[in-house]
Amino acid sequence: MSLEPTATSPASAHLRAVNKFYGDFQALKDITLDIPPGKVTCLIGPSGSGKSTLLRCINFLEEYDSGEVRIDDRLIGYETPGGKRMSGRRLREMRCDIGMVFQQFNLWPHMTALQNVAEGLERVRGLKRAEATARAREALAKVGLADKEANHPSRLSGGQQQRVAIARAIAMQPRIMLFDEPTSALDPELVGEVLAVMKQLAAEGMTMVVVTHEMGFAAHVADRVVFMERGELVAAGAPREIFQHPTDQRLASFLQGYRERNSLDF
Amino acid sequence: MFSFQTIVENLPTLLGAARYTLLISVLGCAQGLILGALLCAAALSKRTALRRAAGLYVSFFRGVPLLIQLLVAYYLLPVVGINVPPLAAAVLTVGLCAAAYLSEVLRGSINAIPKGQAEAALAIGMSPGDLWVRVLLPQALKIGLPAIVNELILLVKASSLVTVVGIVEITRMSQSIASSTYRYLEIYLAAAFLYLAINLVIAAAGRLLERRLTV
Ligand SMILES: Nc1ncnc2c1ncn2[C@@H]1O[C@H](COP(=O)(O)OP(=O)(O)O)[C@@H](O)[C@H]1O
Ligand SMILES: [Mg+2]
Repeated sequence: MSLEPTATSPASAHLRAVNKFYGDFQALKDITLDIPPGKVTCLIGPSGSGKSTLLRCINFLEEYDSGEVRIDDRLIGYETPGGKRMSGRRLREMRCDIGMVFQQFNLWPHMTALQNVAEGLERVRGLKRAEATARAREALAKVGLADKEANHPSRLSGGQQQRVAIARAIAMQPRIMLFDEPTSALDPELVGEVLAVMKQLAAEGMTMVVVTHEMGFAAHVADRVVFMERGELVAAGAPREIFQHPTDQRLASFLQGYRERNSLDF
Repeated sequence: MFSFQTIVENLPTLLGAARYTLLISVLGCAQGLILGALLCAAALSKRTALRRAAGLYVSFFRGVPLLIQLLVAYYLLPVVGINVPPLAAAVLTVGLCAAAYLSEVLRGSINAIPKGQAEAALAIGMSPGDLWVRVLLPQALKIGLPAIVNELILLVKASSLVTVVGIVEITRMSQSIASSTYRYLEIYLAAAFLYLAINLVIAAAGRLLERRLTV
């Protein structure tokens, strides 16, 4: 399969009335949201509010039950809204353009850093070994890990592992990137190096959707912040509106709780 | 009087028979791994029919003694018009049986791999085939290695059952030498040490491989 990227322009994503159930439990309630191209959208909200579920619907790692999720104008997961599942091949083709970074890094432990990054280029993009390796090296250099290519994940710090995971995603030349709490599993002193790489990506004009508890990152890097609670999209707006002038009561109390936890540490 | 002479004289013959022991257990194990991987994929599949089929297969081949399986294969295959040499029938049957056990070993190993690894593969657009071959199986083989080595050792010992389809491996050969030389103790001891030697080598190779796979 050769899926050489044709365009590297940033993609937009559009959710329309998306619902997701786990049995009787409704994890996403009628979510409508537009992710603008080339911008950073941060998803915030209490644990269990459906942030990961929403993020994972965008690359169809989680199957939504009704509504529409589109990358640009292409519906993902189903052939038509509410219709039959799309073929595995077409889904994979769409996923090539959507990078994802996980809380737990999810590197493949039996491969070196370089192999982790080159694997998708070879197997999915269909590049020759030499070219895949060259591109993987570029991606590792970009996240500042050129000298660690021969290390297995177990020989890397958490921050380094997460940067390899980012390199694995960007090497595929995605047009949109999804981050699910990329710094939550890291020791505090390692958070900065990962956020720095993400800021660099944002500056390059990548479309990014970031689930995060790093309110500093959301306030300073995000173009748009979306607050979720109990499966609902409660508020969305520019960081200043969300953080300085929250109009919604639930958002205000979430932020207050956050500020109390983070300023009364000492 | 204990006669070393008898052992020395008959050792080449016993070693010749050991070829069959090795051939059947190693080829049976290899076949069991390949078929076991497919069975394991079926057992972990989203399709109910595949999971059921894999479950039935495992129940049957684990639930019926290998001896009976060999006899059934030996008498059944010609009836349905398949004429294979006894050795092929034996390897095939041992492999089918080993697959049932090895598929469970692999299934347990794959369940031990964090789910996120498969998600990371799917997220970059990897196909299910590549996910299995590149991500899951290499790790499952490593995690399951001690159990796989166990299985191979069990197969070396179980291979003595193939005498029922007329193959002369270590056990059958030692019986035949013992009854013609009347040196039962010497010959059976020699057979015992031969099995032991084979299994020690397998165990050592397994440990070596395990160390090499550890990163
Ligand atoms: N596989 C699942 N089965 C059942 N419930 C789930 C599953 N995944 C998530 N949930 C539930 O859905 C809700 C939203 O989960 P999630 O999207 O992970 O929240 P968040 O990322 O905001 O913490 C939670 O209440 C969680 O318990
Ligand atoms: Mg989450």
